Amino acid sequence: MINFKINGRSVTAERGETIINVARREDIYIPTMCYIEKTSPCASCRLCSVEVEGHDGFILSCNTPPTEGINVITDSESLETERTNIMRMYDVNHPLECGVCDKSGECDLQNKTLEFNVGQQHFSAKDQPRKIENWGLINYDPSLCILCEKCTHVCNEVIGDDALDLLFGGYNSKVIPKNADTLDCTFCGECIAVCPVGALVSSDFQYSANSWELSKIPATCAHCSAGCALEYEVKHAGIDSPGEESIYRVTNNFEYATLCGAGRFGFDFANTASKDEAAFSAAVAALQNAKAIRFSSMISNEETMILNGLKAKLGLKLFNEDARQMKTFMDAYASVSGKQHYSATLETLKDSDGIIVVGSRIATDNPGVRYAMTTAARHNGAKVVYMHPLEDTLLQNTVTQFVKYEVGTEEGVLALLAQTLIVDQELTKREQAFLDGLDEGYLSAETNVGDDELALLVKQFMRSKSKTLVVGSDILAHERTENIAMLVAMIEKYSDFSVLVVPTQINSLGVSLIADLDEDVATENVVGYNAKGSFVISALGEGDLDVPALNQQEGTVVSIDKRLLPTNVALSFEGYTLNDLANALGVNAENTIDYTVELPVESGFKAVAFDDLENFYSAKGDDLRGYALSTVTAKRGGHPEEVAELPEFNGAVIYHVNPVLQFNAFTAKTTQLENDNNLYGSASFAAAARLSDGDEAVFEVAGETVRRIFKLDDTLKGTVALHPTFDLGLNVTSGYRFEQVNFMRESK
Amino acid sequence: MSKVFFSTWRGESINNVDKADDAWEESAYNLPEQYNEHSSSKAFIGWDGVALFDSEVDVVRLATEYAAQYQVYSEACGRCAPGRWGGRILYDLMDKIARGEGTMQDMDHLKEVSRTMQTTSKCESGKTVPTPRLDLMEHFEADFVRCIDEQKPSKHYDESVNYIAKITAPCTDACPAHVDIPGYIEGVRDLRFDDSLKATRQTMPLAHTCGRVCPHPCEDECRRTNLDEPISIMALKRLGADYETDHGFGFFHPEEKKPDTGKKVAVIGAGPAGLTTAYYLALEGIHCDVFEELPVLGGEVAVGVPEYRMPIDKYNQDIEAVRDLGVNFIVNAKVTADKMREYEKEYDAVMVATGTRISKKVRCNNERPEIDGYWSAIEMLDQVNLWEKYGIGEEVDLTGKTVVCVGGGFTSMDVVRCSIRANAKKVYMIYRRDEKTIIRNTTYEEYHEAVEEGVEFLFHSAVEEMVDENDVLKSLKINKFELVPDPDGGRAQLVKIEGADYSIDSDFLIPAVSQSADLDLLPEEWDIEMTSWATIKTNGKDYMTSRKGIFASGDCEYGPMTIVNAVGQAKRAASVMARYVQNGGEITLSDDEIMEDHLRRMKVYDKKEKITGWLPGLPREHSEVVGVEERKFNNLEVNLGFTQEQALSEADRCMRCYYIAMVAY
Repeated sequence: MINFKINGRSVTAERGETIINVARREDIYIPTMCYIEKTSPCASCRLCSVEVEGHDGFILSCNTPPTEGINVITDSESLETERTNIMRMYDVNHPLECGVCDKSGECDLQNKTLEFNVGQQHFSAKDQPRKIENWGLINYDPSLCILCEKCTHVCNEVIGDDALDLLFGGYNSKVIPKNADTLDCTFCGECIAVCPVGALVSSDFQYSANSWELSKIPATCAHCSAGCALEYEVKHAGIDSPGEESIYRVTNNFEYATLCGAGRFGFDFANTASKDEAAFSAAVAALQNAKAIRFSSMISNEETMILNGLKAKLGLKLFNEDARQMKTFMDAYASVSGKQHYSATLETLKDSDGIIVVGSRIATDNPGVRYAMTTAARHNGAKVVYMHPLEDTLLQNTVTQFVKYEVGTEEGVLALLAQTLIVDQELTKREQAFLDGLDEGYLSAETNVGDDELALLVKQFMRSKSKTLVVGSDILAHERTENIAMLVAMIEKYSDFSVLVVPTQINSLGVSLIADLDEDVATENVVGYNAKGSFVISALGEGDLDVPALNQQEGTVVSIDKRLLPTNVALSFEGYTLNDLANALGVNAENTIDYTVELPVESGFKAVAFDDLENFYSAKGDDLRGYALSTVTAKRGGHPEEVAELPEFNGAVIYHVNPVLQFNAFTAKTTQLENDNNLYGSASFAAAARLSDGDEAVFEVAGETVRRIFKLDDTLKGTVALHPTFDLGLNVTSGYRFEQVNFMRESK
Repeated sequence: MSKVFFSTWRGESINNVDKADDAWEESAYNLPEQYNEHSSSKAFIGWDGVALFDSEVDVVRLATEYAAQYQVYSEACGRCAPGRWGGRILYDLMDKIARGEGTMQDMDHLKEVSRTMQTTSKCESGKTVPTPRLDLMEHFEADFVRCIDEQKPSKHYDESVNYIAKITAPCTDACPAHVDIPGYIEGVRDLRFDDSLKATRQTMPLAHTCGRVCPHPCEDECRRTNLDEPISIMALKRLGADYETDHGFGFFHPEEKKPDTGKKVAVIGAGPAGLTTAYYLALEGIHCDVFEELPVLGGEVAVGVPEYRMPIDKYNQDIEAVRDLGVNFIVNAKVTADKMREYEKEYDAVMVATGTRISKKVRCNNERPEIDGYWSAIEMLDQVNLWEKYGIGEEVDLTGKTVVCVGGGFTSMDVVRCSIRANAKKVYMIYRRDEKTIIRNTTYEEYHEAVEEGVEFLFHSAVEEMVDENDVLKSLKINKFELVPDPDGGRAQLVKIEGADYSIDSDFLIPAVSQSADLDLLPEEWDIEMTSWATIKTNGKDYMTSRKGIFASGDCEYGPMTIVNAVGQAKRAASVMARYVQNGGEITLSDDEIMEDHLRRMKVYDKKEKITGWLPGLPREHSEVVGVEERKFNNLEVNLGFTQEQALSEADRCMRCYYIAMVAY
C-alpha cells in the first residue's frame, strides 16, 4: 500500500496500480487517447502525462506506479499547453469526413479536439496517399488511424489471435495484418470496438447509420454460455419497410468486457411472424395432447418456469438432454463438494496463473473462456495445460502443455489428475482407498497420458498461486459423467484448484437449476420447443408455430459465471409467445417476466423482479448485470466408484464441434458469419474413413443422414475429424461429442 | 580529444568560428572526426549536441537531414503521437526552410513542436531529436534566417553528402553483442514475447543462455542508474525465449533466411562464438559446417557452466535455433593442422572459435600435474558436466574429500559449487584479493550463493607449495597477504605477512586462475600473428587473422572472457565474412558497424546526466532463488527467473533510451 497525493488529495495505491488507476478510482480526470483498462498500457498518446512536485519533467501516469509521499499534479498550465499541442498533432491531416464517418458522435478524437479547443490545423505536414484495406468483416482506413495501438494490444493480450501488428516508420506507420497479407483471425471484431476513431470499422455497418441515430438495447448475447454483455443498436429499417426496425450493429463495453464475432456480427437471427390464430390453436391442441415437451437450452429462465407450469398443469414430461446432463453432473459434483455451484468464474479464471482445460475444444466452444485464458496467459504468465484428444492451433500461444488423451477415456484422465493433484491431504478412508486403488498402469496405457506428462504438468504449476480446472462439455455428455463429476469435486476439495464447468448452451445452467426434467425416451406426441417434435414451436421460423428469438424477448439466463443476466427486446415480435400458449392452457401470467421473481430460491436465485435488475458495467468496471446466484449447500455423501473399463474408439471418429463463430441454428441463420460446414480431417482420418479431399461424406448423426464435403486439414492429426453441427437445425445431437461413424458408400 | 570547428557535445561549448586553424580549441570527447580510413567527417550530430569538423558545413541541411533520419530510418519511431507527427512536422518545416521557402513563423513552430517532443515523447530519440537542432538554430541563427529572408536554398542544399545515422542506446552500446535491449524490453512490456525474442536474436542467438548467465555489462551503463537502480536487463531476456519454448513454436528468427548463396564456411568449435558465427552466416544463405572436438555441442557453456546455472535443455533450445537454419554440426571432430589446410581449400572462409581450454597453472612450488589430486578446472568441469548433463563418462563423487580451488572468476565459482554438489567434505576458495574484488569479477549473487552453500573463502591468500607424499597430494602451504596502501596515493600493494603462513590438508588442488588457448590446429607455415598473451591476433573490428580468409573470434581471440563478448565478436565477424565470401575476398565494414565502433569509442552512457521525466524510487525486481537446502546437493536451476508480475513491473522501469547519432561525410 502506497500513500501519496493527487492534486493535494491523499490517496492510496495497491501494489500493481499505476497513477492513472488510482486517479480513475478516485474520480480524478486525466485525459487519454490510447489507454484501455483491460490491456497493458499502450503508452502512445502521451496525453496522460502528469507532473510530480519536486521532479522535473512530465511523468507518464498510465505506466508509472506512484511512490510514497509524492504529490501528483494532473493539471497545470504547461500540461495543458503540451496536451493541446499533442491534440494539434493528432489533427494534422486527419480527414475531415466526420459527416459520414461511422465513429462520428462517439469519437475520442472529436471529443478531445473539442475538449482542447483545437479549432484549426495549427501544424502542417505533407500528406501522402494511404490505401484503405478490406479485410472481410473489417475495413481499415490508415488515414483515420491515430496509431493508439489499442487494437494490437487487445488482439494479442485479450483475444489471443495476435493477428494485428504495427508497421513502424514514423509518419508512415500503420496497422497491418501480422505475418500475413490479409487479416487472418477469428474475426471477433474487438479491434473495431476499441478503435477510438473510424479507422477500423465493420464493413457491414460502414456508412449505414450515424451513432446518434441508433437506440442502444442492453442485452445478453444469446449464443454461448459466456453470457457476454452487448448492446443491440437499432434504427428504422428504411423507407421500404415503414414502421419496422432493424438491428444495425452490436457494440459492447470494450473497456471492461469482451465480445466474440458471433455476438458482434451474428445479430440478425430475429424471427418474424404475425398472429397466426390457426397455428396457435393447433399448438394449444398439440400441447394438450402431448406426452412431453422437448426443448433446447436456448431459452430463458422464465420460459423454463412456464414449461414447468405446463408440466404440472398438463401432466406431461419435460425433455432436455443437454440441461439434464448438466444437472446430473452438478448433482454428482455437489454430493462430494457439498455445494451446488462450482467455484470459479471467468473473472477468477482471468486472475489465474495455472489452468487445466479438460474435455472441450474451448476456443470455439466458449470464446469467453478463451479470452479469459489469453488474459491469464499474457498478463499473469499463466501455465495452461490443455488436455484433449485434439490439439487446437488457435490456442498455441496460450497453451504451455498439450496432453493428448484417447477419445472416451475422460474418466481415466480425471482419475489420473486426481491422483496427481491431490497430495498430502487428509482424505476420508473411502476416498483414500479410491485413489490407492487406481490402476495407474492401466489408466496410463488406456488414456495414453504418461507419467512424464503428469510430472511436467506438476512442474508447470510449481510457482502458480491461483489455479483453475476448466471442465468442458465432452465430459457433461459422457456416459460416466457422474463419476467424473465426483472426481472433479474431489480435486477441487483437496487441491488448490478451483473449478469452472463450461455449460454447452446459453442457458444450460439456468434450465438445469429450474426445470423439472425427465429422461428423454422415444415417445409419440412430443411438442418441440426449439427442438425436434411431432409439433414444433420454433423461433427459427421453420416450425408449426412461430415464437420470438432470444433477442426479441425480455427475460433472464444463467451464465457460466453462475450469474443471472437480464436480456431485453431488441426487435419486437408480433406473433405469439410461450406465455400466450400457457395462458390459453391455464398457466397464467400477464408477462413472461412475471416469473423472474419466482425463480427457485433453493437453487440460488434471489426473489428479485425483472424490472429491479440492473444491466450495466459501472464506470469503474464492476459488472452490475443481474445478480450472482447465492451459494447453495448440498448434502454430501457421494463417493466416486471404481473407474469403469475405459472405452475404445476405433476407426474413423467424428467430433461434434463448430467452426469459429458458429454455435447453433441461430448463428447459422445470420448473414455475416461464415457458414463453413465442411468435415475437416487429417490424412490419417482420410485413410481410416476412406475419403479424399473434396469427397462428399455421407453418414448418420442422431438418426438423420448428413452430407458433408470432406476437406483435408494438415493442422489436424489422428483419426478424429471435426464435424460442425450448427447447420443441423433442430436435429442436434446431445450425446457424447465423439462418435464412431460409418461412412456410407454411394456410387459416384 | 578531437579537433572541432564547433561543438556543443555533452554540454561543451566550443566555437572556433573566426579563429585561425591552429588556434582552434579542441573537444574533450572522442568524436568521429575520421569516418573511415578513406573519409574524414564533416559533422557529427546526436542526442546530446552537435560537432562540426569543418567550417563549410551546411548547418541548415544538417539539421534537416537529422530530422529526416529520425522520421525515415528510425525503427523506434511510430510508437507515440508526439514523435510520429512531431518528427514529420519538424522535418517538413526544416526542409521548407532549407529549400528556401520558409517563414519566420516556421521557426516559431519548430521551437514549439520541439518543446512538445522534448517533454512528452515516448523514447529518448523523440525527446532528444530536437536538441542539436535547437543548438544550431541558436548558434547559427543567421544561416537559417538567411534562407528565409532571401528565400533561397541553404548553401549546399543540392550537394551530395553522405549522412549516416545509427540508432543506439547506452545499454546497447555497452553490450558487446549490441543487443537491442530497449527493443526486447518493450516486447515484454507490450506482452509481445515473440517480438521481444526477435529483437534479441537480431544480434544474439543465445537468448536462453544470455538470459541466465550473462555478467550483463549493459546494466553498468543503464541510464536508469542515474535515477535509482539499473534495470534488471538480463533477467528480462529469458521471457521471449521461454515463450517460444513453452508454447512449442518453431523458432522466431529475426528475419527470413536468405536464399542459398552457394558459399560455405567451416567453423571450428561449437561454443558461443562458433554457434553465433554459424547462425548469422546461415541467415545470409551461407552454408556452415561446424566442427566440434567434444562429443557434445555448446563449448564451455555446455561443459563448463554447471546445470544449476544453465540448464542444458534451455541451452539446447538455443543450439536448435541455430540448427533450424540448416547449420551442419559435426561432433567428435578434432581439427588438426592438416584439416585446417584442407578446410582452407574446401571452404570459402574458416572461423576459428576454439576457446581457451587449457587451465593455467597456479605457479606454486612443486606444482606438478602428475601429483594425484592436481586437477585442472577445465578437466574437472568437463567431467562434472558431461556426466550430469549427458550421462557421458563417470560421476564426480567427492565424498569425504577436501577441495581447494584457486581462482576468483566465474570458472572458480563453478568449481567450488560443483564440489559442494559432489558432496565434498570441505571446499575452500583461495583468492589473492578481497571480497569486494571477487564480487566485482563475478556477481554479487554468485558469491553469496556459494557462501550460502558452504564454500569457505580464504581472501588475501595464495598457495605457496603443494605438499605430496609419493605423488599424492596431502596438504597445501598457504601464504597470507595484506593490502598496504601506497603512501604516494598509487594502487595499494599486496604484501606478504611474515609468519602468517598456514597449511590446509587437502585432497585436491584445482587451479582456476585463468585459461589459455590450445592453437595447435593452426598450421605452422601460416605463421598466424598472435597477441602477447598467446591468443590469435585480429584488429578487433573485422576479426580476420593475419591469414586471408581465416577468421577468429571468442576466447581464442580475446582471451578468456564472457559469453556475450564471444557472441558480439562472432556476430561482427559473421557479417564481415558474409560479405567477404560474396564479394571476392574484400574485407569491409558496413556503415552500421562503423558507426557502432565510433559510438562505443565515444561511449553512449553518460553517468553524470541528470534524468528528468521519470519518477525515481521504483525498486529493481529480484528473481526468486531456490533455497539453499533445496539446491545444495542437486542440479536444480538456482535462479527461477522473474514471475510475470515482476517482469512486467521491471520492464515498465525501462526508459527506452534510444538515441540517434549521425555523421556527415
